Amino acid sequence: MIRLALVGCGRNAAALAAAAAASDLCELRVAADIDPKAASNLARAADARAHVGDLESLLESDADDIQAVIVNTPNDSHADIALAAIAARRHVLVEKPLALSADAADEVRRRADRADVRLMVAHTLRFMPANVQVHRALAAGELGKPGMLRSHRWLRRFPGPPGGWKHNPARSGGLYVHEAVHEIDQALWLIGERPTHVHAQAQPDLLQIHLGFESGAMALCGVATGLPLGSGYYSLALIGSLGAAYADDHHNVHLVYRGQRPQAVVTDQRASGVRAQFDEFARAITEGREPSVSGADAVAALQIAEAAAASSASGQTAHLTETGYVLA
Amino acid sequence: MSSPERYRVLALSAAKHDYVPLAFKDHPRFQVTGVSDEPSAAGWVHECNEQLAADLGVPYEPGIDAAIARHRLHVAVVSSEAARHARLSVRAAQAGLHVVQDKPMAPTVADCDAIVEAVERAGVRFLLWNRNTQPAIEEARQLVYAGEIGEPRAIHVDFFFSKDAGVLLDSDEPEEVPDNWLSEGELTVEGIYPLAHMRHILGLDALRAFGRTSAHFFRRHAERGVEDIATVSLEMERGVIGSLCIGRIGQPSHPNVGELRVHVIGSAGALVIAEPRPEVAVYTRGQTPEDPRNRRSDEETDRRQVDLLVNALDTGGDTLLTARQGRHIVATVAAALQSARTGRPCQVSRPG
Repeated sequence: MIRLALVGCGRNAAALAAAAAASDLCELRVAADIDPKAASNLARAADARAHVGDLESLLESDADDIQAVIVNTPNDSHADIALAAIAARRHVLVEKPLALSADAADEVRRRADRADVRLMVAHTLRFMPANVQVHRALAAGELGKPGMLRSHRWLRRFPGPPGGWKHNPARSGGLYVHEAVHEIDQALWLIGERPTHVHAQAQPDLLQIHLGFESGAMALCGVATGLPLGSGYYSLALIGSLGAAYADDHHNVHLVYRGQRPQAVVTDQRASGVRAQFDEFARAITEGREPSVSGADAVAALQIAEAAAASSASGQTAHLTETGYVLA
Repeated sequence: MSSPERYRVLALSAAKHDYVPLAFKDHPRFQVTGVSDEPSAAGWVHECNEQLAADLGVPYEPGIDAAIARHRLHVAVVSSEAARHARLSVRAAQAGLHVVQDKPMAPTVADCDAIVEAVERAGVRFLLWNRNTQPAIEEARQLVYAGEIGEPRAIHVDFFFSKDAGVLLDSDEPEEVPDNWLSEGELTVEGIYPLAHMRHILGLDALRAFGRTSAHFFRRHAERGVEDIATVSLEMERGVIGSLCIGRIGQPSHPNVGELRVHVIGSAGALVIAEPRPEVAVYTRGQTPEDPRNRRSDEETDRRQVDLLVNALDTGGDTLLTARQGRHIVATVAAALQSARTGRPCQVSRPG
């Protein structure tokens, strides 16, 4: 069992603790936060020890023999906390984005490589059960060569007060960095190559990303974060040369979201996906190998997110180069 | 002038699809009087026309001017090869006939401009055949226009049809190409349907397009340099973000004849249409893999479109998809295809 410390006991921490509890491969030993109440509440619920303060003070004493750290703090602190864990030679699973910029993320990746610790980033769409099946079919050659990916993910409005970090692009990175890295990583994972260009459009709480690949494949992804109430919505279609796969959280129903619950049963695949992600992290540590979602993957997603943001801001297409992008 | 009790209809070629002229058969307000075409049309076209005439129980009369003069007509239904659409539609409009025309409107925007000019000069109605009378599309439009989801902000349409078009790209099989196999690009030909859905649901046009296309499946498409799948991003009026995924995705790629999916995000909500296109699933012992297990049930949709045409003809109002709207759809497709070639977004051209 891999012994974990969870840093950041705010929103999403309960789901992470539940996933750790459900896993046979890891256990949550410490719930850490700078807010004593948040730390003690989660520690009580997860049967873990509460730690109030920074990560360095936790790892210095190391009373719990922590092997790995889960970083679940606001986006603007991800890189620093990950670097602190790496400096203390602990493995790290970081909520996405790995950092607020691709360059900062790459620095974390390099430090992890040098320290020979496992670095994994929570691109959780890869672990959603439906997407796992799609990828498995693709990897087995059942779908042939991927030609078109279309995905849409709609979320409720960001919770929390208007002044909270998610509402502040300087702290969250903005929609491209905070949310679209999921779609970008998913596209790179399923298409299996780096895009040659990206064209994007955005409004304050929705965006569209259009990726083109050297092989001729294409991906069109949409994210919205302004659904009034109710559950979210997820829909994916992958068209291959020999077949196609569809992964939706609803089936053949018309849904109208008008502030009530949607008029359909929608399956929430997130919980089992997070547990699968924890299992993969624990296995990578045990087996001494790179996790399936590596630091390099996270850097690639951030590079394309930055190009997408530039495309959206300029109205031009970002043509990706070895080191960045050119707008045209 | 009062409306006639029955509008007299001439089918002008059935080279492409017979379902457009057949939608007028037995309609109480229409009488199909004959089928005609240019005498110079290909032999296989004449065969299609003869079959349609037999199905309608009317004569087949090659020679369009004579047929128009003989039947005291009101409406021409044009379903020729796309390359002849403009010529036949302009000819019908100049003869003072209302025009119902199969898709695509024409191969070029210039051809569409000629149709618009002829129709407007003659003061006749023009209907570009479409699928906007599908119940889900009509319901979506009603919800949007009623303000149920607030001000529209984004729209997406998936339009996949799971049919083959000859042998696959990497196949070694020889391919026999029948005379009537025109092998046009799928965005080029079928793009009218999803783009018309967007227009119908929101009442907004596209201003700029970014497109990607690929001949991903079929050797014939690759050899002719036309697309079988495409993705399109659209900048639309009022800042609405639009997008479209379209493709002939191959027979095994969907459990039904294809998929229609529409997403609309508004300022106060969102709506989703997720369904196969209207169809009936038929499962019987003895079906071969080639037998269609799902069969079209579009008759009701087509009939409703004809009912709406009656209203436009009686009142002089707009049809469900006018010549100008059809022209804009062709211009949108042209911009997306140009973008796919250049790698840059392209403006959708407006009439000069």
